[in-house]
Amino acid sequence: MSEDDDLRIEGIAGELRKPVRVSSRLDERVMRAVRELPRHSRLGLWSRLLRPRRVTVTPLPWAGGLLAAGLALAAVIGTQYVLGDSSDGRPSAKTAANAPQAVQFVLVAPDAKKVSVVGDFNGWDVTHAGYQAQHRGGGVWSVTASVPVGHHRYSFVVDDSLWVADPLAPRAADSDFGGPNSAIVVQSQE
Amino acid sequence: MNAVARAALTLLAVASAAAAQDPSLASRLDKETLAAVTAIVDSARLAKIPTKPLVDRAFEGAARGSDGQKIVFAVKQLSMRMGSAKTVLGPRTTPDEIKSAAGALEAGVSVRDLARVRSASGKRPVTMPLAVLTDLIGRQVPVATATDVVLQLAKSGVKDGDFSLYQRNVRADIEHGADPTVAATTRARGLVARTGAVTNPTK
Repeated sequence: MSEDDDLRIEGIAGELRKPVRVSSRLDERVMRAVRELPRHSRLGLWSRLLRPRRVTVTPLPWAGGLLAAGLALAAVIGTQYVLGDSSDGRPSAKTAANAPQAVQFVLVAPDAKKVSVVGDFNGWDVTHAGYQAQHRGGGVWSVTASVPVGHHRYSFVVDDSLWVADPLAPRAADSDFGGPNSAIVVQSQE
Repeated sequence: MNAVARAALTLLAVASAAAAQDPSLASRLDKETLAAVTAIVDSARLAKIPTKPLVDRAFEGAARGSDGQKIVFAVKQLSMRMGSAKTVLGPRTTPDEIKSAAGALEAGVSVRDLARVRSASGKRPVTMPLAVLTDLIGRQVPVATATDVVLQLAKSGVKDGDFSLYQRNVRADIEHGADPTVAATTRARGLVARTGAVTNPTK
């Protein structure tokens, strides 16, 4: 490197070492210009989301996994649908008018020790806590329970063994199992 | 296959089994009965017949201590009756109407008379009229008489509340010793006259 070159470099370095003179109003002018710009917060988010990036996927295991998970979810939803409504292929709108109604079941059974109500509304479960009648005195047993709108077959079970139809309710056909049953049609509050 | 895919496939297998078998049925029926009932329920689902009444019938059988063969037979019979009812009553029939109609068929009402009740009721639901019809037959009113009475009431535009009142009155009459046929026809005449007076006040 020649002596001239050294001098030229020294000169450039000297210029660069000088402090930069900035107008005292520069910050104010810049910030004013920034504030006047239109806001694009959503665009900023979108641009971040849509920003190209590199993703590496191993195809088969993930595709199989996602497909299986989707089918599993569909199967579970299908089960809920089948068990949760009358499953006639049409969705049932569960509105307030279709909400279960309070129904009082009454049986006069002076010698009974225990009276339960079983029917389509409780899965014919003799032990269902919400359908255990209470003795009100004088041999009168009753329970008020929530029953879905619709047509139901039911019966009283006395002392866990004797099946008794509701003497005040319409009779239901009972040729299948030979025991007496009653029918109830719970109406919506429309 | 990685762990995620294996877990998802396991979930699929479990969910498929759950879809095929009602878990509450599995806890109350033996293996053979469960398989037979599940097959009937699956078949009904494909035919768009309500399946809950079938499951309920199996529950009822189990609760009554019936053997598996009897439960399967009852569920199958109900499925067939509901299929007939759905066909006769039409595609817009609700599950409750189908269930009530299946009960009427079980009581001895013919498919033809079911169609007549449907026609006589117009756009009104037939759930209550058919429940009352089943009740009348259960109280020894002959099927033909009970059907005629309910047809007459339905044609007169009797509402569900009045059908219910009619059933209670007939029951009370029979319990007090009245002949079932006389009680059913006499109470029906009164209700038709009253309904006619309400719907045609000038007559």
